[in-house]
Amino acid sequence: MEVLRLHNLQKSFGSVRALKSASFTLNEGEVVALLGDNGAGKSTLIKAISGVFPVDRGDIYVRGQKVSIRSTRDAMDLGIETIHQDTSLAPDLSIARNLFLGREPVNLKWLGVFAPLDLAKLRDAASALLKRVGISKKLDADALVSTLSGGERQSIAISRAMQFAAKVIILDEPTNNLGVEETHGVLRFVKEVRDAGHSVLLITHNIHHVFQVADRIIVMRRGEIVAEQTVADTDLLTVESIITGADMSALLREARAK
Amino acid sequence: MPVVKRRSSLIRSPQFSSLVILMVLLAVFAIADANFLSPLNISNMMAFLPELGIIALGMTLLLTAGEFDLSVGAVFGLAPVVVMLLVQNGGFDIGIALLAGLLLCIAIGAVNGLIVTKIGISSFLVTLSMLLVVRGAALYITQGFPLKSWDQPGFFVTLLAGSFNIGTFRFYTSLWWFIGLSLLAIYVLHYAKLGNWISAIGSNRNAAVARGVPADAVKIWLFILTSVLAGLAGMISAFRISAASPVAGTGYELEVIAMVVVGGTALTGGRGTILGTIVGALMLRSIRNGIVLIGVPGLAYNIFVGVIILAMLILHALLQKNAARS
Repeated sequence: MEVLRLHNLQKSFGSVRALKSASFTLNEGEVVALLGDNGAGKSTLIKAISGVFPVDRGDIYVRGQKVSIRSTRDAMDLGIETIHQDTSLAPDLSIARNLFLGREPVNLKWLGVFAPLDLAKLRDAASALLKRVGISKKLDADALVSTLSGGERQSIAISRAMQFAAKVIILDEPTNNLGVEETHGVLRFVKEVRDAGHSVLLITHNIHHVFQVADRIIVMRRGEIVAEQTVADTDLLTVESIITGADMSALLREARAK
Repeated sequence: MPVVKRRSSLIRSPQFSSLVILMVLLAVFAIADANFLSPLNISNMMAFLPELGIIALGMTLLLTAGEFDLSVGAVFGLAPVVVMLLVQNGGFDIGIALLAGLLLCIAIGAVNGLIVTKIGISSFLVTLSMLLVVRGAALYITQGFPLKSWDQPGFFVTLLAGSFNIGTFRFYTSLWWFIGLSLLAIYVLHYAKLGNWISAIGSNRNAAVARGVPADAVKIWLFILTSVLAGLAGMISAFRISAASPVAGTGYELEVIAMVVVGGTALTGGRGTILGTIVGALMLRSIRNGIVLIGVPGLAYNIFVGVIILAMLILHALLQKNAARS
């Protein structure tokens, strides 16, 4: 079942055509990896989907409905959550407060931004969530995020997206700066997220990680989607040569011949 | 054992160490000079405390959101000058003059906030320029002279600078303003939804924005709030001494920031404590008062203030390092 469909998205910054044309479909319960070199247009594409800036042309469909995404709030309301490596959590706030940032449970709602936080509900919901994602044994909902490791922070950010029943979770370089063990933890978590029925768009430089978790691979080069393949139908070298535009297997054969 | 854990985190919290140091300071001054705890001296300290303390409350919220405001001392000077000029030379009713002063403070704060958030210039530079503009305006419209003394009792004067006696202690209504605003600030920062936003913006602005928090709007309103509180403090001070001077409040911006950071609020944003700021305000006030009483030469007392502030900050840094290690 189709969750997100992009049709001919285009975006220019001045004379630079960062996104020439992008069309693809993301299905329910699927992990799609978005690959490409620096400047290929990956981040322009995900910023457009997550509402950081509007596209110049093209349409976005969520569950078959045409939508317009003008702000990050719009994207969140449509069930699209984006998680960036270092920009998704506030380190000086507790885990519980981070989980509900921007969607705080409050009493006396009519007070607007001055409404008092429902601290008991905040804490209970946070504990329940941590338990559900299987990290409650180690983490206290009142602990400050600054005391957590990089992998734990990623897990918290991803579980927050799951918490709000996000249909589409966009992970921007989730394993950057993580150790080997933590990376495996996060990748395992991505699989769990998929099995729980969410769709994941995974942006990464690391092709090895892609082959561990992704169902499909989309490769971008110079602002365009140049390949779309299921993981079962391809291999590492093929994907690498599509990314760089060079025939890696030929280069490898040459190197071996020498 | 959550109880034990909570207690140790309380002891390690920055406002707690500030409180201990405040106690030590008060004890030292009280032992060194018996007059330090006399009703007259306490009344004196309590008269000055709210004036900087009220500004420090706004500054704490602003610093927690990751910005600061160097123009508060100048606003403290300009607001009462404008109000008193309108009353004395313009013949306006005091209520209307106060409203004009309030609007002026809102405008100054809004300009600060808009330039910082929409053009993206650091608040240090923006508010430093604003300090010069505002102080210059105060000097120009008064031609550099203090205004005539103005002493007509009325509702507003009593509201801002009335005084009352409790036993042998004499208190000003400004103390009630300070207490009321402090309670409000504690509520907003630590218990309201807005406080969660303020801390998140100062801690990691991008994260807050990504969650749909209107970071720019929050910052602009905090700049406005800080300016308004600085103007209010200026009015309280001017009414108390029945005179407005264009140079009033010179250097207050740094003293206010010192109160806030000595109390344990992080200069880099994200971590703010109103209780700490109240302790910080009490500390700087009693230092200024106490070292004069114990006979430090007037001209030398900034040395002591500076050294004590430095010592406080070093202590906070060491405590934090310890906490991070454990």
